[in-house]
Amino acid sequence: MDYSLKKYYKQSATYKIFSGIFTYSAAIISTLGDISLNAVEVAKCILKGQIDRRELIEQCNRFGISSLPITLSIVGMTSVIVASQVALEMVKQGGGNFVGLLMTMLIVREVGVIMSGFAIISMIGSSLASEIATMRVTEQIDAIKVLKVNPIRYLFVPRVLSGLIMMPPVVAIAAAVGVIAGAITANLTSGLGYLAFFDSAWLGIYMKDLSVCMLKAATFGAVIALISCSCGYAAHGGAKGVGEATTKAVVWSFVAIVILDMFFAMVFFF
Amino acid sequence: MSIEVKNLVKTFGDKRVIDGVSFKVNNGETLAIVGFSGSGKSTILKLICGLTTPDSGEIITSEGDIAMVFQYSALFDSLNVADNIAFALHERKELRKKYTEKEIKNIVAEKLELVGLKGIENKFPSELSGGMQKRVSFARAIVTEPKTILYDEPTAGLDPISSTLIEDYIVRLKDETHAASVVVTHQMSTITRTANRVIMLYNGKVVFEGTPEEMLRQDNEYTKQFCMASLEGPMRMIAEN
Ligand SMILES: Nc1ncnc2c1ncn2[C@@H]1O[C@H](COP(=O)(O)OP(=O)(O)O)[C@@H](O)[C@H]1O
Ligand SMILES: [Mg+2]
Repeated sequence: MDYSLKKYYKQSATYKIFSGIFTYSAAIISTLGDISLNAVEVAKCILKGQIDRRELIEQCNRFGISSLPITLSIVGMTSVIVASQVALEMVKQGGGNFVGLLMTMLIVREVGVIMSGFAIISMIGSSLASEIATMRVTEQIDAIKVLKVNPIRYLFVPRVLSGLIMMPPVVAIAAAVGVIAGAITANLTSGLGYLAFFDSAWLGIYMKDLSVCMLKAATFGAVIALISCSCGYAAHGGAKGVGEATTKAVVWSFVAIVILDMFFAMVFFF
Repeated sequence: MSIEVKNLVKTFGDKRVIDGVSFKVNNGETLAIVGFSGSGKSTILKLICGLTTPDSGEIITSEGDIAMVFQYSALFDSLNVADNIAFALHERKELRKKYTEKEIKNIVAEKLELVGLKGIENKFPSELSGGMQKRVSFARAIVTEPKTILYDEPTAGLDPISSTLIEDYIVRLKDETHAASVVVTHQMSTITRTANRVIMLYNGKVVFEGTPEEMLRQDNEYTKQFCMASLEGPMRMIAEN
């Protein structure tokens, strides 16, 4: 009697909705907890100077060099799209002198870093997550532990550091390419001269913008690497588990950098 | 006493996978653990080497390293064979200080020779056959000169000759290092060639303990069923959930 009642209760919509919400929030909280614990462990290792130089160089290569083509094209193309939409209209309305300013501000403050972030998540974040998830489900991480090596030190530290170190230069190059692409597009679509573009472009760049941009880049790089590694590290259950971990890493990284970007905007530009 | 396990209990969810298991393994002795797939053999090894913690019970191992040869080798596929074997030497601070790069190279060569795979230092795990991977995994595990060695189905899926090779290494290594070893296996040849004693697990409990000869005598219903590979007997394959 009691049992059948329980069964009936479990089929009710209310139960399903609330248990669904509960399971979902519990999963989110546990993932957040995992990520924070890993972050603390990574910070500890870095403070103790436990950095594997060989691994770090290899990960920097991966993070910087291999992500460059896709990052540059995405930021460049975004800039082309924006410039082609606004340049002609602004010139027509007599605002030609501000096209450069608008484009650089947009790129330095937002487009450069957030688009690079998206590019790097899809390129590097997904590969970090699937790599570490594969190591997890094939017991390679257990093997590291049995050999008495700290997997966080060996796997996370070089990857997170490489994000921290390599993302600022990647964003800087991407932003430069974006501005140049914007100038060319403006010139082609509206006949705006390069001199007029770059004259106003300088007006749009403040030291503060540049430093916030680099700070954001370093933060995003480290956060993407940390989230991707953490999701991979928590994987379980074969090939399906690897796929799930990769998806989770990408989704969480996207959400995280958008939230962080909002946070930066509120702290630095209000 | 090198490994002592007392009243070990481990549950996953509401399933009691290990239910009060106790045994001892002396230095220089090899214990074989047999039982169905899913009877918790790998779990026992993971408990001994500290990869998981028991719900209750006690595990005492002698000081020094514990080595584990994993069921599916678990070689690092981004590292070549030499770096796989030298992993602990490169990555552990106290060992990195102890050896020069040249000495590490010599140790790697020596371990590879021990497992009969001289000169494959620069190959990657994906380029090796299953048997070769097992042997490299073996070399990686013993590089720190462990006092306790755990083997998870070291000969499963190997051809008879590779199996014999591995069994010989297990015996030779035990004789050289005087380590306490635990071998999880289904294979009769591995039991008879390597083990001094055998325990059989069923439903999370030890249902037989004795020498390989006693096991082959089949005077216990469980060993009888196991040795005859029979569907008739006290043990039932229970479908998961
Ligand atoms: N991490 C885990 N989470 C949940 N269940 C597990 C886990 N590890 C093992 N199990 C379960 O414990 C049982 C014993 O597994 P295992 O020790 O691998 O068996 P064996 O090595 O004897 O084949 C299996 O039913 C398996 O599903
Ligand atoms: Mg197993």
